[in-house]
Amino acid sequence: MKKLKTAAELARFRRSLARGEDPDKKRVRICMTGCRAYGAHEVTAAFDEEIKRKKLAGEVEIRKTGCHGFCARAPVIAIDPGDVFYQYVSPGDVPEIVGKTVLGGKIIERLVYADPETGRKTPRAGDVPFFKNQVRRVLANCGRIDPKSIEQYVARDGYAAIAKALAEQSPEEVIGAVEKSGLRGRGGAGFPTGVKWKFTRQAKGDTRYIVCNADEGDPGAFMDRAILEGDPHAVLEGMLVAAYAIGARHGFIYVRAEYPIAVEHLGIAIAQAEELGLLGENILGAGFDFSVELKQGAGAFVCGEETALLQSIEGSRGMPRPRPPFPAQSGLDRKPTCINNVETFANVRSIILNGAERYAELGTAGSKGTKIFSLAGKVNNTGLVEVPIGVSMRKVIFDVGGGIPKGRKFKAVQMGGPSGGCVPARHLDMAVDYDTLQSIGAIMGSGGMVVMDENTCMVDIARFFVSFTQSESCGKCAPCRIGTKQMLAVLTRITQGQGREGDVEKLARIADTVKKASLCGLGQTCPNPVLSTIRFFRDEYDAHIRDRRCAAGSCEALVISACQHTCPVGIDVPNYIAFIADGRYREAADLIRERNPFPAICGRICHHPCEVKCRRGELDDPLAIRALKRFAADWYFNNVAEPPEPFPVTRTERVAVVGAGPTGLSCAYHLARLGYRVTVFEALPVAGGMLSVAIPEYRLPSAVIQNEINYVAARGVEIRYNTPINANFTADDLLREGCAAVFIGAGTQRSQRIGIPGEIEGLDGLLYGLSFLRDVKTGKKPKVGQRVGVIGGGNTAIDASRTALRLGAKKADVFYRRSREEMPVSDVEYEDALEEGVEFHFLTSPTRVLNERWRVKGLECIKMKLGEPDAGGRRRPVPIPGTEAPVALDTVILAVGQAPDLSFLPADSKLERTRWETLDVDPNTLATNVEGIFAGGDFVTGPTTVIHAIAAGMRGALAIDKFLKRDKSRVEIRDEKKDITHEVKLAGEEETAEEKQRPAAAKIGAAKRISSFAEVETGFTEQQALEEAKRCLRCDLERR
Amino acid sequence: MKETPTTPEIALDKLGAIIGEFKGRKWALIPMLQRVQDEYGYIPEQAIEPVAEAAGLFPSQVYGVVTFYSQFYTAPRGRNLIRVCRGTACHVRGGRKILQAVERELGIRDGETTTDFKYSLETVACLGTCFLAPVMMMNRLYFGRLVPQKVNAVLKQF
Repeated sequence: MKKLKTAAELARFRRSLARGEDPDKKRVRICMTGCRAYGAHEVTAAFDEEIKRKKLAGEVEIRKTGCHGFCARAPVIAIDPGDVFYQYVSPGDVPEIVGKTVLGGKIIERLVYADPETGRKTPRAGDVPFFKNQVRRVLANCGRIDPKSIEQYVARDGYAAIAKALAEQSPEEVIGAVEKSGLRGRGGAGFPTGVKWKFTRQAKGDTRYIVCNADEGDPGAFMDRAILEGDPHAVLEGMLVAAYAIGARHGFIYVRAEYPIAVEHLGIAIAQAEELGLLGENILGAGFDFSVELKQGAGAFVCGEETALLQSIEGSRGMPRPRPPFPAQSGLDRKPTCINNVETFANVRSIILNGAERYAELGTAGSKGTKIFSLAGKVNNTGLVEVPIGVSMRKVIFDVGGGIPKGRKFKAVQMGGPSGGCVPARHLDMAVDYDTLQSIGAIMGSGGMVVMDENTCMVDIARFFVSFTQSESCGKCAPCRIGTKQMLAVLTRITQGQGREGDVEKLARIADTVKKASLCGLGQTCPNPVLSTIRFFRDEYDAHIRDRRCAAGSCEALVISACQHTCPVGIDVPNYIAFIADGRYREAADLIRERNPFPAICGRICHHPCEVKCRRGELDDPLAIRALKRFAADWYFNNVAEPPEPFPVTRTERVAVVGAGPTGLSCAYHLARLGYRVTVFEALPVAGGMLSVAIPEYRLPSAVIQNEINYVAARGVEIRYNTPINANFTADDLLREGCAAVFIGAGTQRSQRIGIPGEIEGLDGLLYGLSFLRDVKTGKKPKVGQRVGVIGGGNTAIDASRTALRLGAKKADVFYRRSREEMPVSDVEYEDALEEGVEFHFLTSPTRVLNERWRVKGLECIKMKLGEPDAGGRRRPVPIPGTEAPVALDTVILAVGQAPDLSFLPADSKLERTRWETLDVDPNTLATNVEGIFAGGDFVTGPTTVIHAIAAGMRGALAIDKFLKRDKSRVEIRDEKKDITHEVKLAGEEETAEEKQRPAAAKIGAAKRISSFAEVETGFTEQQALEEAKRCLRCDLERR
Repeated sequence: MKETPTTPEIALDKLGAIIGEFKGRKWALIPMLQRVQDEYGYIPEQAIEPVAEAAGLFPSQVYGVVTFYSQFYTAPRGRNLIRVCRGTACHVRGGRKILQAVERELGIRDGETTTDFKYSLETVACLGTCFLAPVMMMNRLYFGRLVPQKVNAVLKQF
């Protein structure tokens, strides 16, 4: 290559290259940076081979580019013309791609991006939501050009910015333009770049330096790597412009040694630029000299701090020094030095080429331009995302990022790595810019966004970051050196279950000191993750300290296996699954019953939080824990004829339980296990509570409930039916009659009203969900019309709609004011309802019940939109005025919630109530203000789930046991692990785990279902259960 | 690794030439050390003094630099370098279990080398390939989206 001596020669050179960049040329662009880890090498080789074989070298170009951004789908390729995007490409696909798409212009469906929800396929890159929602300015060349080719860079206006600056602008004008553009440093602190340049130019001295900080160290950030690998000349050109502006003749790029491809591409780029005379002396004949040297880091995070970085370039230990003087005054060799980040330099050329005004069109008032974010962690579309500054976090994570994998719940996103903070769900709609992020304790940082879901423990995250900064602290200043150690010690003991009351306050105090007193940015910002997790997730800290519980199931010292820890009653899941794999079904059922007396019920209707936590889910599908439980329980009832022995009575005290629902019976069962004599008082002629009177037969047959109640009774629990506890016979009377303690688990019997006009009790066709289901279950056969509308979004609403269809309704519509995402029902229930023909109207809220002569004739509904999230992170629905419209219906079922009915308590009862008309109890012991009387379950908390109801009963039993033994310690439902030897080895004990999907539990067809109340799900066969059980990874065995 | 592998005797005849490459260059200490490590796989103790002399520093200062940076090694390394990422994205996707699996398989801990010098194990703050999380590197190859059960299969390839 010949040296380019003038700007005109550069322009001529560019024109000569234009043909190569012809957009109509047939071209395959393959990511050869990030995608290498998924076999991009092999794919490229296959393309080269195919081109050679078909003698297409002149016709088709195979271009090895940098990152396309959509790393989740690696290896990815793009095909011109047409900008066709293919994902998960393998070498075997290559001949077909060349033949069909490159030469034939036809699309290969299987390689095309398909929307995970709708399945819609979008062959053009520009139509894929991941790309469509981005504005790629800085990354414009990444994935388009071969980073090893200076020609391709030049052809796309490369080095035109420095040529323009040299020819048309004075250094002051360049600085003025950068200042005016509003560009702020992309490394993290967000200092205005133009101002920094001005300070450096104004500093005294003849020698000045430019330094590019390419020591991208924030865990979770990889945009600098992508730019260096995919478009290294853009960084060099930015440095050239900066050098011209501040009057520097020499520059350094300090790059991480952990980025070998970046080092390689930068080296090539520098050599090429030197060869063309774009680096060196008298560049483009303008009398401007500039050279660049590459410096490789040696593995020290603190070197990302600018003063430490300078020390490292000079060959010393990378320790920061106090500022001022700032590097702009005294940097390398004590000379004025301008340090900017990779992404900052890559922004410069568009400011010079297109003007500051154009640049500043994007962004917010205080933060201009675009920002690249690296999206990682628990998000579907991991990769690089460039968006205008100021878009909402929700847009980045959900629209571009595609949301959270495996249907799990978003918990928080960590912004700015170990210097930043977390942003919880309630702030998802906040604009992402430098200033707003700071207002909630996070920072923009370098743009790393690590998404965390419900399986991430926030205390552990804080500990993780502090352990990182502690080990990277250089040790020069005491607050950082000692403070990080102390914070780590406190956080470690909390995550190990040895936290103490007051630890959180102590942490906050140390954090405050470290923040204020540390020498450099590392120390000043490292307490941020601690402070922000305390601010938003204080409850998780408290749960670790007080109850030794980790809601995410990830703190190893507290958790034997995540499934067991997540189960509210702590069932030893891995061992019962291993029993099933061994064919020891009875022992499996007995093991479950150590914690839960209702395996057959929970095996059908539990919402199985354990499965969300199952580690097998990271590999393929979580274990079908619920279905396995059902299999073991059903086997027991089908094969074990003799009733179980009663638990031996070892205590003298007698305990009374009010209510024979899941909470009351669980409490009674556990009290019997503990050796007490127990009597349950039930107002109705049947036991089972809501299970018996509200859950439809097709989900939970009465015979199944009866089996389990018989089992509980056989273990020594006396149930007295038709014996209400009320003003005539009160809980106090029970105590007076010799019961040592009373537990009240009376459930929620009262349907809540909506309170809209027209909601008149007794209106013909207006029903309440709970009483409707109760009537059906007790055989009363209530009448429904042809068109049934159900209001609500919970279990009761869905049960009511499906029941209505079974009673002969032609159509059942569910109206819910929020969206599917906020609906507290499982996918199975929702999909079953859809299959049966239930129609859902989301974001629709009734405003009036319409009637004609005391007969329901419809509903008036208003459309809603989701507004700001509430404190729990659920977005609040807001009505859209003017969208009211009538819907014709002949039956309306209201199912918006239930509440406890306290009317059975005598008016003069001493029991304290909350302002929500529930009993006020101690959350740990469930003790009321009256000694000896305890209360729990839905009756206290409002409607929850069956397993939480069972857990409340168990907690009550443990609390009563402690009360009667005068033991004042806290009640804990502890995970316990039995040492059981199993014959059959499960997947977790084998050398490797082959991917294997879980089988679907069999169901009867939708058409047949709605004609009867027969149970929909038929459960696993023995063979299925055996196979499924073997997929367990036995996480519990990792702790020996 | 239960015991430290004994440091083998190494020939330092190339050291003079390496140092010579950096003669008269400013701020050459770290590049010089990197070059020495490229040659020997670690910074031999015997190299400290000559390097210090060439850089015009005390040996203690050179030693200070060597021990400050995590990528300089003072003991020989295994033929294969395993780097397990401990970055945030890997952490939330179970990186700790990957590290534990490697440690269990090889019987060495972070920073150690197997007695047969086949593998060295280290953790890095972030490999910058968060979309592969949890990820580990074997020499220059990436292995992503790991689960502990797959670790053995990766190790066996080397």
